[in-house]
Amino acid sequence: MPWPNVSIKLRPMQMKVVGHTAVAAVDLVKVYGDGDTAVRALDGVTVGFDRGRFTAIMGPSGSGKSTLMHCLAGLDTASSGQVLLGETDLTRQPDRVLTRARRERIGFVFQSFNLLPQLTAAANITLPLDLAGRTPDPELFDRLVTALGLAGRLTHRPSELSGGQQQRVALARALVSRPEVVFADEPTGNLDSRSGAEVLRLLRDSVRDLGQTIVMVTHDPGAAAYADRVVLLADGRLAGEIDRPDIASVTDALQNLAAAR
Amino acid sequence: MNAVLRTQLAGVARRPARMLLTGLAVLVAAFVVYATVLAQQITERSVLNGLSGTPEAVGLVVRNGTITTAQLDRIAALPGVAEAAGRAEAGLEVSGGYLGLIADPGSGPLSVVKVEKGTFPDGPGQIAVTPRTVERLGLTLGASVSADAGTGTAARLTVVGIVAPRDDFGSQGYAPTSTVATLTGSDLLNQIDLRLNGGADPGVVSDRVATLVAAGGSPETRPEVVTGADVRLDEARTAASEVDQVFAVVGAFVAVAVIAAGLIATSTFRIVFAQRMRQLALLRAVGAGRSALARALAAEGLLTGLIAGVTGVLGALAAGHALPALLGVFGWTVSAPGFPIAAALGTVALAVLITLVAVGAPAISASRVAPLEALRSAATTGARTGIGGLRWLTGLLLALVAAAVAGLVAVNLPGPDPEDYDPMPLLLAVVGSGGLAFLALIALGPALVRPVLAIAGWPLRRLGPVGRLAVGGVGGSARRAAAVAVVVALGVTMIAGVLVGGASVRTLAERELAASAPADFELAAAEGESLPAGLADRLRTSADLTGVTPYRRVAAVRVAGASELADVAATDVAVGALPRLGELATASGSIGDLRPGSVVLARFVADLAGLSAGDTLVASAGGREVRLRVAAVLTDMAPLHAGLLLDPADLTGLGAPAAPTGILADAARDGERARTAGLQALRQSSAGQPGLGVAVLADERDQINSALTVLLAIALVLIGLTVLIAIVGVGTTTALSVVERVRESGLLRAVGMSRAGLRTMLTTESALYGVIGAALGIVLGVPYAWLALETTGVNAPLTLPVWQLAAVFLVLVALTALAGVLPARRAARVSPVRALGTE
Repeated sequence: MPWPNVSIKLRPMQMKVVGHTAVAAVDLVKVYGDGDTAVRALDGVTVGFDRGRFTAIMGPSGSGKSTLMHCLAGLDTASSGQVLLGETDLTRQPDRVLTRARRERIGFVFQSFNLLPQLTAAANITLPLDLAGRTPDPELFDRLVTALGLAGRLTHRPSELSGGQQQRVALARALVSRPEVVFADEPTGNLDSRSGAEVLRLLRDSVRDLGQTIVMVTHDPGAAAYADRVVLLADGRLAGEIDRPDIASVTDALQNLAAAR
Repeated sequence: MNAVLRTQLAGVARRPARMLLTGLAVLVAAFVVYATVLAQQITERSVLNGLSGTPEAVGLVVRNGTITTAQLDRIAALPGVAEAAGRAEAGLEVSGGYLGLIADPGSGPLSVVKVEKGTFPDGPGQIAVTPRTVERLGLTLGASVSADAGTGTAARLTVVGIVAPRDDFGSQGYAPTSTVATLTGSDLLNQIDLRLNGGADPGVVSDRVATLVAAGGSPETRPEVVTGADVRLDEARTAASEVDQVFAVVGAFVAVAVIAAGLIATSTFRIVFAQRMRQLALLRAVGAGRSALARALAAEGLLTGLIAGVTGVLGALAAGHALPALLGVFGWTVSAPGFPIAAALGTVALAVLITLVAVGAPAISASRVAPLEALRSAATTGARTGIGGLRWLTGLLLALVAAAVAGLVAVNLPGPDPEDYDPMPLLLAVVGSGGLAFLALIALGPALVRPVLAIAGWPLRRLGPVGRLAVGGVGGSARRAAAVAVVVALGVTMIAGVLVGGASVRTLAERELAASAPADFELAAAEGESLPAGLADRLRTSADLTGVTPYRRVAAVRVAGASELADVAATDVAVGALPRLGELATASGSIGDLRPGSVVLARFVADLAGLSAGDTLVASAGGREVRLRVAAVLTDMAPLHAGLLLDPADLTGLGAPAAPTGILADAARDGERARTAGLQALRQSSAGQPGLGVAVLADERDQINSALTVLLAIALVLIGLTVLIAIVGVGTTTALSVVERVRESGLLRAVGMSRAGLRTMLTTESALYGVIGAALGIVLGVPYAWLALETTGVNAPLTLPVWQLAAVFLVLVALTALAGVLPARRAARVSPVRALGTE
């Protein structure tokens, strides 16, 4: 598939997880169903995500971008291939190990916030640490709460917060455990443009200030433009990537993908 | 059918399991109601078939009037009469015990006994006894005893046979009519049973018999002649009416269970409608009217009730008809129930009615949903946890009235030993107050959940995040938790009431038994005589007896306190010698202070003579006098039905003989065998000494204990119905909550909660429903049980069976936890991706 800005240099079998790669997929295949109705949602994807960088995964609907993220995050198991989180191969691990990895090494931000309605904002933020039996680093907690503008909202419950505030609580929850990777699934999908821009700025700031690794799935070129790099998917395959994207280059790439189908 | 209803029903058809869950409590209630109807039928039919005491062969019965043995002979000779059996009974005193000697032909179809050993007596002075009588009275085959029928002359009787009657009471013998008549010295009979010849016309024979018995006697004493079939029917009807009475009580418990099912159904409808809130809002947004929506939801409820009712009835029918076959395998014969159609339709109608009542409030409040709700995101529609002002007001008002009624009852409680006291009005007031308190609980429930949870959840919160989340989850849906917990509380209240009442009555019975039956056996000399010297020492050597305690008793003592009292019995039995005497309770003072110069009074003596602990009285008997200080007043009688308990020295001062007048002893071991052995040891020692009576006090105690235990067991089983429905409610609620909170489960899994953690959390939540319910139930049940007990005026002490209540609490919590296990497992199996994707 010829494409000017695209360069896939790595060949699957030579793939090595080197020091600067936080998480990687190697020849990842995910098949839903079986027989005639089988759908190959991921069809041999090999891609790595660097430490301390903000990467966006993009692609048309049904391109497999959400499935890729779910597999990378240990939420779903792949049919074949490998997912490497640091030195750990997440594929074919028992649920216990995946649970532990999600709890201690991965953070999540979801489209619909997914806060627990019965917990206060503060309790929602520390939930993954509580589950791991760890106490939050008070310095980091204060820094995050201040940076995310949640200082006056910690005792509120989710129903008393605006959408943007809820998503900032979710972001704090993802960051407070210092995970190796934060996965964000359409984090601005349920927000108005101002709140959305704010959340994206905060995501970028966390990469810059905390050295956080972030992988974000989005279909919004405006959101992708905040990232350091965009990985494009189409029909379950890698379809190119863009370094230092802006809205125009991302929109162009997506239009070309759509035209090529 | 309108469009709204069509949408709803399409939704139901898509998820039939959820409808089943909604109707499950009603289904169980319908099952229980119809099963009760069938159980009554089974019982009545079995009773009618088997339990008539009159033999099948009896064609005519002459009864209720003056019937003589001469008439018996003449009736037997009438044409058409094949056989005539005269029924009479003689009450005999045999070796210190009572023996009822019943007239019976001994063989043939008119006999009510079967000979097991030896022969049926056929000569004068011969009797047959039942197997238990052999053990109890020591009347072995071939034994010869002296018997007194109250005529003053003793006759010698020889046991020639052992026979088995339908019911063996352990004190009955059988003999021909002539033997019984000789013993009673009377030619009167209670009844004559007739067997007719095969071809005889019962009507004709009946007329002949009637003419015969009418001759000579006055009209008032003329006996009636009825057919055996009528007598059997009468007996069966009496038995059946007892069954009816029992089932009336059962019905009351079933009614409570049905109400519980209604409460559960209301709660489940609320949950189901809440889950569809966005869909309902959408219907409203596209133009569905409020009333159309409410009607559609009510129609869905009606359908649920109909299906649940029919399923429950069919289930009960299947179980009812399977039961006789099942019991047949174990060798028990019971009749199959019929197919009571009217009751079946009634049960289904009841189920529909209950469901309609249950669906009403949820349907109306669900139809009030704002159309805007459809546009709101699911995460922000938090469940309302508090209650409105009107509900607060109603709840507090109900609680206030309940407390006022209870207070009124408390003020009007009867004193100890009231006379002409009718407990019914006060008891009804207690029940009414309890009902109001329950309504208050329903109204205020959601507001009570949080405080109860704050206390009950404290140890859980300390256990870690899973416990904290479970407590938070229950507190977050306080209305739901309250709805389920109230039903659990209903069951626990009743259980706690029965346990507390039962324990108090048992304590009362034990105290009374400590006084009346302080030991297994009592060996007593005749009035005014003493036991032979050395008897107590001989008994002490027996391996079959323990705690042999000789005592003396003076029958008529005069007590002079503030007022005078004559003919009070006094005893010097040593309280420390028998363990059961430790149960004696004092109203004031201490039994331990009893020493020479002091006395312990039965309550009635203290009341009548105007004495209390510390006072001084003068006791006199046979011209002797002693001054005594009152050491203690008992709550009831003194041991051995005495009024005064004295030190031996003081009893001697009142002129009691040196030798004991009676001996108390326990069997060396527990059980019927040890008791029989002990009894035989006593009999052997006292053999050949006229006037000695041996009483088995343990039998009396056993009877009271077993009657109480059976009563409590039955009550608890019946309450179990309500508890069952409460547990079904907890299971349903947890299952529906899990469906509703699948996103939440997904999130928790995504941020690193393990499968086991999620399972534990959801199971703990469901157990917490049990904790809240059981706590509320015990708090409500114990005081009401005490109040009810006080209103009965039986002078029972208020007892708190702590261990039993703790066990009820734990069992209830375990059962509610169990009800949550399956839904929790299901929730934990769902993958986090699927859960997060669910709308």
